[in-house]
Order: sequence, then C-alpha cells, then structure tokens
Amino acid sequence: MQTGKTVYRHSAVTRLTHWLFFIAFLALVSSGLQIFNAAPYLDASDKTDPARRVLQIYAPADNVGTTVIFGHAFTTTGWLGWTDDGMGGKTGRAFPGWITIPSYQDLADGRRWHLFFAWVMVFCGLAYLIWGIARHDLRELVLRPSDVPKLLPMQLYYLRLRKEAPLHGKYNPLQKLAYTLVLLVFAPLIVLSGLALSPSFDATFPWVTILFGGRQFARLWHFVLMVALCGFFAMHVILIATTGLRNHITSMITGRYRLGAHDGVGL
Amino acid sequence: MKRQLFIATSLSAALAGCGAIGTKLTGNDRVHAILDAGENLDLALIGTHGLVREYSTRDISPDFPINSLDTPVDATYVHLMRTAFTSFRLVVDGVVDRPLSLSLAQLNAMPQTAQITRHDCVEGWSAIAQWSGVALRDVVAMARPRKEAGFIVFRTFDRDANGVPYYESLDFSQALHPQTLLALKQNGAPITPDRGAPVRLKIPTQLGYKSAKWVRHIQVVPSLAHLFGGQGGYWEDQGYQWYAGI
Repeated sequence: MQTGKTVYRHSAVTRLTHWLFFIAFLALVSSGLQIFNAAPYLDASDKTDPARRVLQIYAPADNVGTTVIFGHAFTTTGWLGWTDDGMGGKTGRAFPGWITIPSYQDLADGRRWHLFFAWVMVFCGLAYLIWGIARHDLRELVLRPSDVPKLLPMQLYYLRLRKEAPLHGKYNPLQKLAYTLVLLVFAPLIVLSGLALSPSFDATFPWVTILFGGRQFARLWHFVLMVALCGFFAMHVILIATTGLRNHITSMITGRYRLGAHDGVGL
Repeated sequence: MKRQLFIATSLSAALAGCGAIGTKLTGNDRVHAILDAGENLDLALIGTHGLVREYSTRDISPDFPINSLDTPVDATYVHLMRTAFTSFRLVVDGVVDRPLSLSLAQLNAMPQTAQITRHDCVEGWSAIAQWSGVALRDVVAMARPRKEAGFIVFRTFDRDANGVPYYESLDFSQALHPQTLLALKQNGAPITPDRGAPVRLKIPTQLGYKSAKWVRHIQVVPSLAHLFGGQGGYWEDQGYQWYAGI
C-alpha cells in the first residue's frame, strides 16, 4: 500500500451506524446519569443492601458533595453530590445538570430518552454486525489468535520504545483488541445488563439477571460498562485527533480514506 | 498541547451540549412523540412473559422503603381504618356481567396465594417482601368481563397534595398473570395503613408505581382515554411510561 493513496474504507452501513451510534451514545450516557441521580448508589447485590454498597454520591449537608467508593469518602463538591440543578441554582444531586438529559431532575423524561436510544443502539449494533459478517468486513476488525503476539510490540511502538510497528493489515492489533472488546464484549454486555434491570425481562430470562449477580449488581455492571465505554470514546477521539483529524472525519462521512504511513504496514 | 486542549474541550462540550440540547428537545411535542415510540418496542419485545423469581424468607428486606403519596387522610379512609375496615367494600364494576362488592371477610375467604418477590422501584432500588392475598385473575374471572373490556383500572383512596387521585391500570395479559396479586398481607401480617391497607395491588413483573396502594374500586373499561389525564395512571399522566416492565 502506498502512502497518500485514497481508498474506499467505510461502507455506507458502517458510516450511518457509526454516527447513529455516536448520537445514541451521548444521549444514553447523559440520560443514564439522570436516571442514576434518582437512586445515587450502587450495590453489589440483588436487592438494595447498604452493607454491599460500592458507590454512593450524595450531599451530607448543604454545599457539600461527597462521593464514597468502597467505603472511602472523597469531597467532590461542585462536581458530584452537590452540583448545579440545571436551573441556575445548586442542589444536592449526584451528577450535575450540565451532563444530564434533561438538565434539571426529571426521571420520567430521562427514562424516555434512555429507553428510546437504547433501541437505537441495539438496532444499529445488530445492523452493523449482520452487515459486517455478511460482507466479511468484521474479519479485518476482530482480534485473532495470530494478532496476540503483536499486541506488546504494537504498544511499545506507540510508547516510542520501538521503531517500527509490527506487520498488520487494515487495523493494527491494538485497534483490533479495542474494537473487539467494544463491539463484541462491552456493547452486548451493557445491553444485557440494562435488560437485566427490567422486572419483566427478569421474569422471562431470569438467568441473565442471575449471571450479573442480581438486579442491583446488574445496575453496578451497567454503570461500570458505561465508564469503560466512555474511556474507549475518549481514547478513540484522542487517537483520531492526533492521527489526521480531517482525514478520519472525511472517511467516516464519504467513506474515502487517504492512507498514511501507519496504515497496513507490510501488507 | 494545543491539540490535547482542543480535544478535552470538544469532548466536554459534546457532553455538556447534550444536556442543553436534550433539555430543549424534551419540551418539543414532536420529539416527545418520537421518544415514546421506545415504549411500544418495550411492550412488543419484552412484554409480560414468564414468572418472576420467588425468594426464601431469609431474603426478605429488613427495611422495606415506603415510597408513595402519604397515607390517605380523608374522612372515609380514616373511618375505615378506625373500624378495622369492617365496612370496607372492594367494588368491581365497569364492562362486566357480574359487578361485585367484596368485604374483607369475603376476600379472606377466597383461595389465598403467597409470594416472596422482589419489588423494583422506578428510581432504581429493590426490596424483597412476602405478599399474600387473592390472585387478581380470580376476582376478574368472578366479575366476568364483557368482550369490549380492554383494561383494568384501580381506583384508590389516595390523593396527592393537589387533590389529584392516584389510579393505575393494567391490560389483561398483566392482570391475568398468576403472580398479579390483590395483597392483603405483607410478611404475614395484615398490610398496615402506610403500606396500603386493607388491599393493595402487587404486580412483581412491573416497576413499583404500578402496584397501587389503598385500592377501593376495580373498574373494567374498554379504553383509558377518558380517565383523568388519559395515560392510564397517576404517574403515567405525569410522563412515566404506561408499560412499566422496564
């Protein structure tokens, strides 16, 4: 492959589902934090059990926000616990108004947004996976056993401890690891842990809730997976911005990508 | 460094923008209607199938939260409470062939069923308790609903601070579910006034707000459109989903 050559990299389905997924992700995180605010604690148990509390965000007094993680209390006034109420004032509220949908406390509307975009995410994910499998696009993206020995050299290359990246195809081994985790592990698990919170879903498929360790535990998993996906999202944006922002964004809109020095080394 | 700063700024702007845009859009009726499509999918794809898990006595929550409107204070309810609900009648009517008026003694004489199930609140918490009483489907069957019956409405003694009555509704698949209960007892003792005495609904396949307390009147109706806000329940009229299975 030659540097500078333009190739058709992303199919229309990939591009469309990517941007829908992006919108759904933002809506789901911010409406999810709104829902969290209605019961701002997470227990590693089936029923609510303060003895098994992993996280709690609250205001012990006016003008004080406290976050308790595994029993360790941190003062987080202004950020968590005692935050803006979304209406210009301050109040005892776990996540601040600037990050929730709607910005003011409204569980009913938060649920409305969340339960709508949850389906957008599910249908996007299914369309992408089915399309990817049918067109063999996923083959280039999913981590294979042969990629595993290349993970460390690739990381060393990123850390500038190694001059050359190991031989790889369209995506490098670390990209494959990240996308495999996100698409085939985290995304399905965040959907399942969300469904595990539904009392009716629990009646039909009780083993799902049981596998997550019970309903409150599923709520904890749902939150942890959200944090993991936010981490991926931040990493994704940072890498895109530092390796040719315009080229990446253009390719996700038109499908056409200009090859750089790091793409498809040796293939 | 500039670039990192740009990224950090745009990331937080994306999330912060979300709240602001979302808040604006929430006020738009058309957006509301689109978002409500999610509820139809929930109902179609999740629905009400299967039985919820039943627990053992050692799983029962030591402190079952009370999360509802206040215990009714109107004269009728207070009188009933003071007279141990002896003159209480549960009225069942609407589009039925055989309207009923059941005393507490009659309800207690019907076949009783018990369940130790988890109560999931819309806020996110869960608590486990034992509920016993009469399966709702037995009472519905006794009243013989007519063909045009579509929903079962529960009227209560309860009112909010503005005097708006608390009511709830179920469709037939939810009402005839074997675990949908007209509960008379909680953890073996008659339900206390603050927890919905003498009769409350307990539907473990749905979120807590469906389990109406202080039920006095069961109405079988063809449609919910003409009741109060038309959404089928007190919380539903305030924007919560009618389908509370998720």
